[in-house]
Amino acid sequence: MLTGDAQKFYGLLFGIAFSTLLITQQMTIFVNLVQRGASGVYNAPEAEVWVMDPVSRTTDVSYAMPPTALDKVRSVKGVEWAVPHLRAQATVRTREGDLEGVAVIGVDDATLIGLPERMAKGDKSVLFAPDAVAVDDTGALNFFPSEIDPVGERLELNDQRAVIRGVADAIPSFTSTVVLYTRYSNALNFVPGTRNRLSFVLVGVSEGQTPSDVAARIERETGLKARTRDEFAQAGVNFIIENTGIPTNFGITVFLGFVVGVAIVGLTFSLFIRDNIKQFGALKAIGVTNGKIITMVGAQAGLVGLIGYALGVIGTVLFISAFSSNPFFKGFYIPWQIPLISFVAVVIILAITGLIAIRSVLKTEPASVFR
Amino acid sequence: MALLPRNLSFSRQILPIIAVVGVIMAAWFIIGKLPNRDTVEPAEQPPKAVGALANAPRVAGAGIVEPASEVIDIGSALSGLVTDVRVKPGDRVAQGEVLFTVDARAARASLTQAAAAISEARAAISEAMAAERTARQQLDLYRSLTDPAAVSRAEVIRAEGEEAAATSRLGLARARLAATQAAAAAARTEIERLTVRAPIAGEILAVNIRPGEFVATQGGGNTQPFIQMGDTDPLHVRIDIDENEAARVKLGAPAVVSPRGAAELHVNAAFVRAEPQVVPKRSLTNSAAERVDVRVVQLIYALPESDDFRVGQQVDAFIPAKDAPADTEG
Amino acid sequence: MNTQAIGGCDPQSAICARGITRDFEAGQTTIRVLHGIDADVRSGEMTYVVGESGSGKTTLISIMCGILYPTAGEVKVFGTDIYKLTDTELVNFRLNNIGFIFQQYNLIPSIDAAANAAVPLIAKGMAVNEARERAKVLLEKLNILDQADKLPRQLSGGQQQRVAIARALVHEPRLVVCDEPTAALDARSGRRVMDLLREVAVAPDRACIIVTHDNRIFDLADRIIVLEDGRITHDGKDMPDDH
Repeated sequence: MLTGDAQKFYGLLFGIAFSTLLITQQMTIFVNLVQRGASGVYNAPEAEVWVMDPVSRTTDVSYAMPPTALDKVRSVKGVEWAVPHLRAQATVRTREGDLEGVAVIGVDDATLIGLPERMAKGDKSVLFAPDAVAVDDTGALNFFPSEIDPVGERLELNDQRAVIRGVADAIPSFTSTVVLYTRYSNALNFVPGTRNRLSFVLVGVSEGQTPSDVAARIERETGLKARTRDEFAQAGVNFIIENTGIPTNFGITVFLGFVVGVAIVGLTFSLFIRDNIKQFGALKAIGVTNGKIITMVGAQAGLVGLIGYALGVIGTVLFISAFSSNPFFKGFYIPWQIPLISFVAVVIILAITGLIAIRSVLKTEPASVFR
Repeated sequence: MALLPRNLSFSRQILPIIAVVGVIMAAWFIIGKLPNRDTVEPAEQPPKAVGALANAPRVAGAGIVEPASEVIDIGSALSGLVTDVRVKPGDRVAQGEVLFTVDARAARASLTQAAAAISEARAAISEAMAAERTARQQLDLYRSLTDPAAVSRAEVIRAEGEEAAATSRLGLARARLAATQAAAAAARTEIERLTVRAPIAGEILAVNIRPGEFVATQGGGNTQPFIQMGDTDPLHVRIDIDENEAARVKLGAPAVVSPRGAAELHVNAAFVRAEPQVVPKRSLTNSAAERVDVRVVQLIYALPESDDFRVGQQVDAFIPAKDAPADTEG
Repeated sequence: MNTQAIGGCDPQSAICARGITRDFEAGQTTIRVLHGIDADVRSGEMTYVVGESGSGKTTLISIMCGILYPTAGEVKVFGTDIYKLTDTELVNFRLNNIGFIFQQYNLIPSIDAAANAAVPLIAKGMAVNEARERAKVLLEKLNILDQADKLPRQLSGGQQQRVAIARALVHEPRLVVCDEPTAALDARSGRRVMDLLREVAVAPDRACIIVTHDNRIFDLADRIIVLEDGRITHDGKDMPDDH
């Protein structure tokens, strides 16, 4: 019946597709944006447990430990390996003389554990060269115009010469700060000296041990704070959520998407029911039960909902893939839960509006068709 | 759906098909683009405890390789120009072997001078002895004359005086000989001191002087030692253990040691001793100027025969801990 | 089927209504639309219910075919006291026994003519294709088989009405209720519809009630019941002169 009326059919379709698009797309951007808070964790793919000073909170909010913390962690049973990891802020002077704040990440000297999994340009081994740093790909665009190849560029860090020898394929950080990866010993020179320098100890877990068990044991035996990779990623996300207005903003948009969906779909639905109330009355008089009418309307609403939902999801996918080359959207993905959430939202929208609209059908006296 | 017509309709048949196909493609896209958040194995082996230590209580520490004798910085007793360097880094030397010599020309000149003085003194002794002999014979002759009028009394007195003078001249000449001999011995000692020898048998680790360079006895604080050597058989490794961890170390047990950058190598090092003094941690984690307030206990372990270790190399070490300490497992 | 005569019902009556009273609430006041009506409808006849607007004929017909509860009185349709049935039983009773032709046809706009005609069969649970075939037989009889695949809005008024007639008859009900079948038609068309109805709807075991105030077709009635102000003023073969 719904499809017989093109205007209302496409109205409903638009309402649901728009809601789905808004909810799915905004939630996707939201999730990806707050997951930037965990990019530091995901950019060190080998580490199963992160050990830090008890006051450290995230990869970017950390307090340095004495160097023997590394040996303390290595002494703990269940720790297969442990390497030092330095994360610090520094100011860099570019060739043009501009000052720029960067994050310096010092990875283990011997194994380079702590580097992102892949390099966009160059090989990981370039870091073994003296004064070598690798810049992250998004940061490189902030630093250099896209037509300049950053490899080979010289920088000045804390009166030290640094040469960019590679570009890391990294997940951008929340603030899109330029990130320079270098070896731990180089990083100590690049970052102005403080008493303690060791920001984190990255830990691999022995076979047969779970990261959470090992983290708990590290905390018990060393007095340091140990978090599994997942916990620490979550901590980064939570930090963004707690310290920015992002959840509110996106929450409002998603809520608006829902409200707009309810409004458009509800109005169209009610119009449709009102226009067809005589037909429904006739069906009731003929002897079609309320249950069958609800099934029929439900099936049609389901069809419209499915098509509208599909259009919304397709729209989101197209949006994300269209912008995937934009640095801001680098690494953006649609978590599989979000289409399910928007599907539930569509079902709720249709259920609410459908039930409100169909109430008048159920209340209609079949005798009204004779009037 | 029961009410759908026969004829193909865009909104009722094509659109749902498009929708289903679109959703499937979107799902494929979404699942295909899900990021891989798995951990990956390190490409290179980081240092790790192996064997029995992997699942036993243990203490980890960073260490540095040193000779069993520790490094001996060879100095020079006298300053001067280096004339000859007899060793190069890597040479094994026996105790007392000449390492390098410092210019000894001045000393040799004094020796020659002393030798001349000795000859002169010897000649003087010969002459004095001859004079004494003559005087004594004369005196004996006078004394043997029984006729007191044969020689005058004055003659006898003169002869007695000559004999006494000759005797004392001989004593003087002998004393002069002893003095010149002492001067010669001093010159020889000087020459010996200008030749620097190995104090122990061992291996030359570094040579920082070349012939023609000036060596000063008063080396400044920042000058390099002229030659470094040490007993490298066996090599020792000095491992820093955080003082908080030190109580857990099972003293006497062998340590598992890996060189930096070659963590796949593991050697067992035998316990030698623990340094009695707890010292501030020195730079062992690469920093150029590490300022730390951490204090460490230094443990000395002997490395087995191996080509993988060099003096001064940094190592990662794992040492067994005392079994199940109650304070760490609680 | 209960064929026993109760309350003076003729066992042959298709519909036997006794003491039908119906009140409507209108704000504070109660308006009595029907005042204790007794009426019978017999099978094999075309019975007209005639009256001015507001005479209560629509209310009466609604009560007689089981879609409006009377305030008082009882209605037996083929011997079944329909207002003693449960709601679900009443709905199924209508589906199995009564065919409706509405004044505005009330066809479902999104499905084609054959499907519209097949609605009662589909509602009874018959497979769609079989129901369509059954409906097409009837559409052929009504001379609109060639329109079977068209949507209602693509059909003329007369064609729509034939589809509506097909829908009323497709499940072979024993009672057909027809509301103002000629109201929108000119005299010739109206007659043709009435002829058609007489041809297809009237059968020995089927009763047909036609609600109308169209005096042009009174001569086709087998029986005419005239309502005025909620009371039957005439019940007979011919129309009284004052109409």
